Amino acid sequence: MKRRQFFKTAGGTALLASSGMPSFLMDLYAFSGKQNLSHVEARYYKKRPDREIECELCPRFCLLGDKERGYCGVRENQGGTYYTLVYGKLCSIHDDPIEKKPLFHFLPGSRALSVATAGCNVNCKFCQNWEISQVRPEQVQNYDVPPEDLVDIALKYNCPVIAYTYTEPIVFYEYMYDTSAEGRKKGIRNVVITGGYINPEPLVELVKVVDAIKVDLKSFSQDFYTDYVRGKLEPVLEAIKIIAKSDIWLEIVYLVIPTLNDSTEELRGVCQWIMKEIGPDVPIHFTRFQPMYLIKNLPPTPLSTLEKAHTIAREEGLHYVYVGNVPGHRTENTYCPKCQNVVVQRTGYQIQKIDLIAGRCKNCSTLIPGIWS
Amino acid sequence: MALSNVVLVKGKGVLAQNDTINQKKLSQMYSKGFELLFNAKNPQESLQHLFKSSDKVGIKINTIGGKKISTRPEVSHSLAKLLAGSGIPESNLIIWDRTDRELREAGYRLSADRYGLKVHGTDTRVNWAGYNYDLVSHLNIGSRFARIQSNFATASISLAILKDHGMAGVTAGMKNYFGSIHNPNKYHDTNCDPYVAELFETKPVKEKHKLSILDCLVVQYHRGPSYHARWAEKLETLIFGLDPVATDFVGWQVIEKLRAENGLPSLKEENREPSYLKSAEKMGLGKANSNDIKVIEEEL
Repeated sequence: MKRRQFFKTAGGTALLASSGMPSFLMDLYAFSGKQNLSHVEARYYKKRPDREIECELCPRFCLLGDKERGYCGVRENQGGTYYTLVYGKLCSIHDDPIEKKPLFHFLPGSRALSVATAGCNVNCKFCQNWEISQVRPEQVQNYDVPPEDLVDIALKYNCPVIAYTYTEPIVFYEYMYDTSAEGRKKGIRNVVITGGYINPEPLVELVKVVDAIKVDLKSFSQDFYTDYVRGKLEPVLEAIKIIAKSDIWLEIVYLVIPTLNDSTEELRGVCQWIMKEIGPDVPIHFTRFQPMYLIKNLPPTPLSTLEKAHTIAREEGLHYVYVGNVPGHRTENTYCPKCQNVVVQRTGYQIQKIDLIAGRCKNCSTLIPGIWS
Repeated sequence: MALSNVVLVKGKGVLAQNDTINQKKLSQMYSKGFELLFNAKNPQESLQHLFKSSDKVGIKINTIGGKKISTRPEVSHSLAKLLAGSGIPESNLIIWDRTDRELREAGYRLSADRYGLKVHGTDTRVNWAGYNYDLVSHLNIGSRFARIQSNFATASISLAILKDHGMAGVTAGMKNYFGSIHNPNKYHDTNCDPYVAELFETKPVKEKHKLSILDCLVVQYHRGPSYHARWAEKLETLIFGLDPVATDFVGWQVIEKLRAENGLPSLKEENREPSYLKSAEKMGLGKANSNDIKVIEEEL
């Protein structure tokens, strides 16, 4: 029986219907079992003596004996060969506005078929999606969606973009890479929503097949990365530089958490670094924190703090500064840095107006960087 | 200050030539271990010191290493038999680990019999298995607990295999509880320190843990936690302790001794000393220094 016929099973359809999943799932895929893991050899690892391996995908460089899994929980050493357990095993699939990622200078108003597998290579104490990111693939329901099928879904449902998002796409690198390559052949754009905790070599290869990357820069302090992310800051900064030097589109998100990463000095430090290393045209989003996962004792970020961050970024010379998770705020709009005309007007995830002609301000013809069509 | 007693019982010949277990010898090892640990006449009486007959006892074993280097079925079943003999109904006993697959690979026959001894993983589809939805948050720990540990068991025994561990230095009774949470992969940084200690201090573990027993019939003293015949020693020993930290500390010394005998550097020299034991001691969970531990050795 072909995979596409699975949905016809009564049980599968009933499950999907009762779970309120989007219609594109209803007519394509049935649930697969919890034990449905992939057995595809991983990329970027080194074989070592005595059936040990060293993962080289991310800066953790997990050194693993036989039968052990990496920090991400989704890559396993089996007898001295390293396997990804989540190739084509999606735990989340949804169509989102691209603004939700957020990517503001990339095909505004388009729908992004957004997917994730279980797993993550850090453990942020403020994770919004910990129920899928901080678990092993056996602990979630997985859909079996090979690359070519995901591209077909995107085409069928008029999603011009596939977004690898929600958890940490780096941990399902092989699937993301292959799907992106397949999608590109058929005119689908691919965007990656990531913490940027990846080694240079796989990243350099990845930017050849995707069209945009949004990096969550979680702080500008190593102490914060140690205590609240369980990772290192430096490799993330390196990754941002690599992406900025490539031909693909880059945006940066900075989740502002009260008392933890919201000092004037730190915010200014981030902005100065971006100005120096990347330049003024990379969009930066200062987004509002909501208490969840392991940080429930702090309040949501006050609007005044987000506006302070916005002011600092503008003072430092950044052109495209946004405040996120505050629907209706004036800083959701894109302003022409020269004439201050609103070139893209947004309310939440909705596009109200686009005042661009061939990527230039309709009013003064200033080029607004981004991928607009 | 009272010393923590840790008992090592060596049962020469408990591992027969073809790697099978001499059941009689194993029973003698348990009897002697409990006798020395509790100063009691027989194992049943010893166990009655620790458990009520109404207790539901979880025997947490470690089977991640496959058949060659996991808690042996004979070792855990012998313990279950002793517990049943002390008056705890078999239906209140469970031998468990993370997954059914790992248990099978280690040679276990699974059973989820509501009315008998249970042997299965957290992923068996019964209402006392799986993970609780709510996170247990304590210091650096934020994890979902296996229902077997947090809901089913009223008391627990860590019946771990003693092994060298590439990241933790040593894996023994305390680290064995990594198998009771949904995200152990998140706690292997910095030699698993302080995570092993902090996990042990969470309510579902600390309030239930009663006894540590280390299966040292075969000890992986290098290149663990995977099995490598070259560095696996047939030690034919069980280690018993009521102080979880002291028991693991003694296990660590066993590994260091084997390493030294085989010309290997110490774990400290390899920068993977199990420093979580010191952290555990600082947290008041037990003793992690030779001065405060009385080691009682017996050979059968």
